[in-house]
Amino acid sequence: MTAVLEIEELSKSFGGVQAICNFSLCVEPRRIYGLIGPNGAGKTTIFNTITGIYQPTEGTIKFEGRDITGSKPYQVAQLGVGRTFQNIRLFTNLSVLDNVYIACHMDADYGLLETMLRLPKFRRTEQHLKDKAMSLLELVGLQDEADAIAGSLPYGHQRKLEIARSLALNPRLVLLDEPAAGMNAEESTELVAFIRALYEKFDLTILMIEHHMDVVMKLCQEIAVLDFGRKIAQGTPAEIKATPCVIEAYLGGEMPC
Amino acid sequence: MSVQLLIQQLINGVSIGGVYALMATGYALIYSLLGFSNWAHGDVAMVGAYIGILTLTTGAVPFWVAVIIAILGAGLVSILNERLAYRRIRNNNSPTMFLMIAAMGLSVTLQNAILVIVGPKFKTYPQIVPVKAVALGEIKIGTLDLLSLAIAAVALVALTFLINRTKFGLAVKAAASDMQVASLLGINVDKYIGLVFGLAGCLAGVAGVLLGMKYTVYPQMGNVALKAFIASVFGGLGSVPGAIVGALAIGVMEVLVSGYVHAGMRDLFTFSLLVAILLVRPRGLFGKNVEEKA
Amino acid sequence: MSGYVSGLLILVGINIIAVLGVSILTGFTRLFSFGNAGFMAIGAYTAGILSSRFGVPFIPALIAGALMAGLISLALGKLTLGLKGDYFLIATLGFGESLRVLIENIEITGGARGLANIPPRTTLLVVWVSVVIAIIGAWNFLHSKYGRNLMAIREQEMAADAVGIDTAKFKTLAFMISAIYAGWAGGLFSHYYTFISPISFALSKSAELTITVVVGGLGSLTGSIIATILLTLLPELLRAASVYRMLFYGIAVVLIVTLRPNGLLGYREFSWEWIKRLIAPKSGSSIEKGDAS
Repeated sequence: MTAVLEIEELSKSFGGVQAICNFSLCVEPRRIYGLIGPNGAGKTTIFNTITGIYQPTEGTIKFEGRDITGSKPYQVAQLGVGRTFQNIRLFTNLSVLDNVYIACHMDADYGLLETMLRLPKFRRTEQHLKDKAMSLLELVGLQDEADAIAGSLPYGHQRKLEIARSLALNPRLVLLDEPAAGMNAEESTELVAFIRALYEKFDLTILMIEHHMDVVMKLCQEIAVLDFGRKIAQGTPAEIKATPCVIEAYLGGEMPC
Repeated sequence: MSVQLLIQQLINGVSIGGVYALMATGYALIYSLLGFSNWAHGDVAMVGAYIGILTLTTGAVPFWVAVIIAILGAGLVSILNERLAYRRIRNNNSPTMFLMIAAMGLSVTLQNAILVIVGPKFKTYPQIVPVKAVALGEIKIGTLDLLSLAIAAVALVALTFLINRTKFGLAVKAAASDMQVASLLGINVDKYIGLVFGLAGCLAGVAGVLLGMKYTVYPQMGNVALKAFIASVFGGLGSVPGAIVGALAIGVMEVLVSGYVHAGMRDLFTFSLLVAILLVRPRGLFGKNVEEKA
Repeated sequence: MSGYVSGLLILVGINIIAVLGVSILTGFTRLFSFGNAGFMAIGAYTAGILSSRFGVPFIPALIAGALMAGLISLALGKLTLGLKGDYFLIATLGFGESLRVLIENIEITGGARGLANIPPRTTLLVVWVSVVIAIIGAWNFLHSKYGRNLMAIREQEMAADAVGIDTAKFKTLAFMISAIYAGWAGGLFSHYYTFISPISFALSKSAELTITVVVGGLGSLTGSIIATILLTLLPELLRAASVYRMLFYGIAVVLIVTLRPNGLLGYREFSWEWIKRLIAPKSGSSIEKGDAS
């Protein structure tokens, strides 16, 4: 069974700063992985390197067996990798519907001519896209706010919208960057159920950065722990909870793995 | 070509470069704080030149007092630009580009205000400085060019001292680096921005007066600031030392191209330089590369 | 219709076409350019030279002019669209000015003295047919995946990347369209005035195009059109001395940008919904829209 994502000996430095060092991870299909670690450990940098925003200094990244090291972000997305951002990046001035509608562009297989002349193929495809976008909104419960301006939504709904948008690409792998950030206990529980439902419905493989330990422990089947750019531990939630060096990393201390 | 001629040309170049530098450093300071290119800066210099000459024609004050008034006047205009326009745009959280558009509007406003108030006729500064060239050995340099060079040098040294050795400079550097953090640390960012605009304006005023004395005073003379702007890009947007180096380099290169290639090619050369910089090394000599964090 | 009025309408039409291009580039993709007058110049000179020196008929000359502008924008875009916003702006400025200086120094363009004896072929009909086509083209383009992708890039480029949009390709597309529109407008311009010189296409013209889009409101074709009409006609109506005209223009620009940053119609677009809402009372929500946002 080919791993969905294979990261091998990934290193990334910015000038003199080594952000990631020899990071390796093998992400199996249809599983939820967690990536945890103290602030500044390099977690988002790993995401950015996977999605092509940064070029790795060393190492390779393979998606479904295909080498994507150094690919451009849009290429990685088109291959089937969706992602959300730590600081929610919605198309703020556009409507909720448009945010998802835009992301459906991969299914828009008409050209400039059909667009300019408004040929039937154009109209059909546009309707199909709109329907797809609406159904995604229904899935996340935002269909009633389709016309609202994305920037005006409450925080929790913005997060859901961002996740819905990432699903429009029919991704096989979804990278979630701190989906529970800024949520209280009740919202986090709802989020866990939400993500689990999407995971099951779409047969997703998920890699998630998160600080809310309860979310991580409840959702993830496998967790990798990062500290100062290095992986210091990997295992099931139970194993990780019991690993002393992980506890030390979060609290500060000398205990190595 | 003879060595004397070359040295003469070089000194001319450095002299004009010095004037460019006075404006380019103003650009750099403003860019480092607000992240935009202040198109109206050249017109601030122009207003300075006009204030100087108008004060002189009243005959009420000696030359050097008129010059001081010109410089302070330019500084004031610069501060007003910031308080009335740029500050509002920042407070509206409008895109940075709006600052540039406002700057263009201010530029048009200033030029045409002068046209309306004073009229389109060119004006000249009285011949305070002797026309006779100074001779250093076999090399002849215009007295005014020498004076201009000296004044620019003094002003720039003072500026560098101000930025690197005083608390004021430290506060400005902090604000330029990260405005939010600076204000959290108790720096009254708005006040410093105003002061920097005033400072940049005064420097522009000096440049305006020098240009007015060397050439003539006319409403469109602020357009020479385009050269200063290119110098700032060359040296690295936002970098004061870069602006000085860039300005001197452009001054010298322009004079050399004008003298040794073809006078008409001067402007083409400068614009091609701009294009070349952007293609080869957009951040210029000393500029910073800033990446967005995901 | 008097010659004066039709001349005015022709000018308005030409400006609308050029502004629409910049609207797509700036209002919808947020790429600020101070070089589009350069593309107008390319269109004007190419078409003008072809018809005055080589006897090429009007429409083919216009097409050649627009295509030439498009081609050059493709090359320029390849070189400069990778630069960050500020630097891209400076690059377009450098392009516009370099072009102007270049034109001043070549034989075939007539140099600084200008190009004369261009056959007068631009009529009110040609201009307004062009305007209608330009508007429909822009509208259809923007209300499609193309326009939406541009808006995505405008709103949040990193997220646009993350949803698989080839941002480089679309920025180039927006740039090319703005150049083609400008080139077409330039061709119409040269065949109306029958004489052109580099001054007509200086930095101030580029700035004027961008300012018009800002005044009309970013992200609104309707706004761009209305602003063009206003900014072209108003100075003509207030026929005061041109100095006062420019003074008020400058002050107006500053006022709009500081006091009403969304311009006339920022992000809002004419739609049948609007008219319906004006005539009839609100009756529940409907998803159908002709809006751009």
